[in-house]
Amino acid sequence: MARKLFVFISCLLLLFPLTGCWNRRELNELGISVGIGIDKAEKGYRVSVQVVNPGEVTAGKTSGNRTPITLYEATGDTIFEAIRKITTISPRVIYLAHLRVLVIGESLAREGIEKPLDHFSRDHEVRTDFFIVIAKGSTAKDVLKVLTPIEKIPANKLYLSLETSQKVWAPTATVTLDELMTDIISEGKSPVLSAVKVTGGVEGQSQKNVEKIDPSGRLKYTGLAVFREDKLIGWLNEKESKGYSYIRDKVRNTVGTLVCPEGGKIGVEVTRSKTQVTGKMNNGKPQINIEIRMEENIGEVECQIDLTKRKTIEDLEKSAEQKVAAIMLGTIHKVQKSFKVDIFGFGEEIHRVDPTAWKTLKQNWDEQFTHLDINVKADVQIRRIGTVSNSFHKKEEE
Amino acid sequence: MKIKKNFSSQSGQHQIMVQTEPLYESLDENIRKIKEDLGSSDDIIIREIRIGREGSVKVAVLYTDGLADKQVITEFFMESLMKKDTLIEPIEQLSDGDKRLESLKGMVLQIGDNKDITDFASLYNSLLSGDTVILLDGYSQGIAASTQGWQSRSISEPVAQSVVRGPQEAFTETLRTNTSMIRRKIKDPNLWLETKQIGRVTKTNVAVMYIKGIVNDKIVEEVRKRLDRIDIDGILESGYIEELIQDEVYSPFPTINNTERPDVAAAELLEGRVVILVDGTPFVLIVPTLFISFFQTAEDYYQRADISTLLRIIRFISLFIAMIGPALYIAITTFHQELLPTQLLISLAAQREGVPFPAFIEALMMEVTFEILREAGIRMPRPIGQAVSIVGTLVIGQAAVEAGIVSASMVIVVSITAISSFVITGYSMAISIRMIRFVIMGLAASFGIFGIVVALIALVLHLCSLRSFGIPYMSPFAPFVVGEHKDTIFRLPHWALSSRPRLINQKNSIRKQMSPPSKPKS
Repeated sequence: MARKLFVFISCLLLLFPLTGCWNRRELNELGISVGIGIDKAEKGYRVSVQVVNPGEVTAGKTSGNRTPITLYEATGDTIFEAIRKITTISPRVIYLAHLRVLVIGESLAREGIEKPLDHFSRDHEVRTDFFIVIAKGSTAKDVLKVLTPIEKIPANKLYLSLETSQKVWAPTATVTLDELMTDIISEGKSPVLSAVKVTGGVEGQSQKNVEKIDPSGRLKYTGLAVFREDKLIGWLNEKESKGYSYIRDKVRNTVGTLVCPEGGKIGVEVTRSKTQVTGKMNNGKPQINIEIRMEENIGEVECQIDLTKRKTIEDLEKSAEQKVAAIMLGTIHKVQKSFKVDIFGFGEEIHRVDPTAWKTLKQNWDEQFTHLDINVKADVQIRRIGTVSNSFHKKEEE
Repeated sequence: MKIKKNFSSQSGQHQIMVQTEPLYESLDENIRKIKEDLGSSDDIIIREIRIGREGSVKVAVLYTDGLADKQVITEFFMESLMKKDTLIEPIEQLSDGDKRLESLKGMVLQIGDNKDITDFASLYNSLLSGDTVILLDGYSQGIAASTQGWQSRSISEPVAQSVVRGPQEAFTETLRTNTSMIRRKIKDPNLWLETKQIGRVTKTNVAVMYIKGIVNDKIVEEVRKRLDRIDIDGILESGYIEELIQDEVYSPFPTINNTERPDVAAAELLEGRVVILVDGTPFVLIVPTLFISFFQTAEDYYQRADISTLLRIIRFISLFIAMIGPALYIAITTFHQELLPTQLLISLAAQREGVPFPAFIEALMMEVTFEILREAGIRMPRPIGQAVSIVGTLVIGQAAVEAGIVSASMVIVVSITAISSFVITGYSMAISIRMIRFVIMGLAASFGIFGIVVALIALVLHLCSLRSFGIPYMSPFAPFVVGEHKDTIFRLPHWALSSRPRLINQKNSIRKQMSPPSKPKS
């Protein structure tokens, strides 16, 4: 017994030196990268990495005269090479698991994003929960250089701001790596990415930017970027982006405007929205039916209208239905006309209902898409009118 | 080892000395031999008196000073023996030996139980247990009268297993007091008591208590067998017995529970367990013991069932924190940083800025410091204990963080772990868990979470292989017995606890038959 135990314990103890603490890294040996930007270089890529300076981020420990993040930059033939090259300027190895955003420069995006993304899908350290955005009208490096107020880590600001605006404002799209890859591969859906814009130029790049009440350098999401396969081909503005979100059933909450019968505006909040896209083959021709059901609350009234009447509400519901249908159709027409790519995934719907027809249709689906038969049906319910019934404007005027 | 050898050689001599030699007829001879055998120890009082009208009968009264109640001896022996008139007369007249002894016994009988002594071995045994021995000249027989009465601690509050609600009495060092405390709770003729003397030198009284008809007879038989097997010079605490009769020697887990609370002992008896009481210690042993017993307290049954269940769940959570808390911290911060939320990672990284040691060394330092402080807190003379806690809070508190030796988060982890290990009710289990913690920490430092998982699997396998007096240690989890989960992690209301643990008592498992209390019908 004692002998057996001795052998067992010796074996156990030998295991410890065998591993040699393989892959062990202390927290203060990590360069925690939160944002990565990829731009085109003369040869290969230019990779800029936003690394957190932990001591300057944590509450109560900041010295105040150092920036919360540092940007490291290197060029290489491959992304992988460039990231490793950064160790020549950074004291710590770049740690990618906590990446929040991946920013792709516009010029690179126009050439195609498939190749540079391979490293991120292949590397074991990278998780697929970060958002991918396109730097509109600038390089990715410029986006990552801006210091932001409130959120000390700009990459975190980009992440949270995208998430929140998707949640309560709608014309943005949170796209993660796996979603993007699926869209690129898919024949019946082309990818879109949110676009981010830098305002204020070089002023945003120093600590001074966040010392101001009204910082001059800002990062702002403006609509969506449309891709054909993996190449950027154009932009959607805010309204069109919202239409995209409606069709893709991504709207959870947003605010819209309705027009009063006698002029003036009414602000409404969309509290619930459910879109169903169904495909159909009609006499050998593909047809798409979009059905949207929405619930709205009235949030602001700037006209004379009697909200206490059932009829008024019904009229408002009708005009809201027309409005949302118009938004969606507007987006579809714009995409059909100027981009000629199916970013809505209509092809996938056709594939789903009639796989045999899809086999022939997919040959020239983008061509088919431009003159696709699309029906939109909207059903809006106005549930609440707020804490007052009629606006106080009315009384004043009486 | 050396000490043990010495002991055994001494006890060898001892055995030669104390033989079952019959008493001599002559009183002088007897006294001479007793004096010789006991080395004329000062505390052995031998009073030779002559009784009878003319002092013709020689009697010796022997007792051990301090162990025998002097007041009883003076009041009942001396006075009645010295009295010239009453009973002594017949003694003198009766020339027949047996009758003389009988009448002497009749006289002594006033003070309670007594027994006849015919040999030196039993004479010494009685004498050294506090009995008073009376030897009569001309007879190779004596009388031992129970006059035990020594200074002992009175019943006080339990120190190690205190409760808010429940009886506030604990066992004492006196065996008889302890058995009486259990008897006071269970007034049933089926509560049986068997006493043995264990320890060649100490001759410690060990009592085995069980309720006949509820207890599993095989377990009682096994307890008897294992107790009989013990051959040791001395038993000073129930821990000696525990180590000598436990099932598994090479295991960090205790397979025998102990308690200092009579109510717990009574409850265990009612569940069909055997209680072993040892003279000289307030801690009694309970067999068989299951793993789950260490997470149940007396108070669980005195409080409302829902609260007890909640507290038990908390105890299980703290079991895991105490066991793998620091290990998990080490594993996650050195191998699996991707598991942390980004904000948390950044703030942990910020705390680690400038800390010179790896997380494992950091954790080890803090844990060892804590263990030292804890040990010091227990061993220190009470008045100095205060100083330890002050130094302790400074050392493993803010100062260590400010000095840049450890990170603040490590202090939090170590503190939570320390507190959690105190929540485990069974003290002997808590010690084992603390020991295992260090092993798991080492595994976590070299293999990450993989190491922790392997350790936990090994631990579960080991636990499932353990038995306590033949009962699977992990029951009712493994083997899984549905009906017995009434009182494991959950504690159902008393009206629902209708049966005893089947694996333990095997027969007579119906505890009560009662329907849930209903509202009064108006």
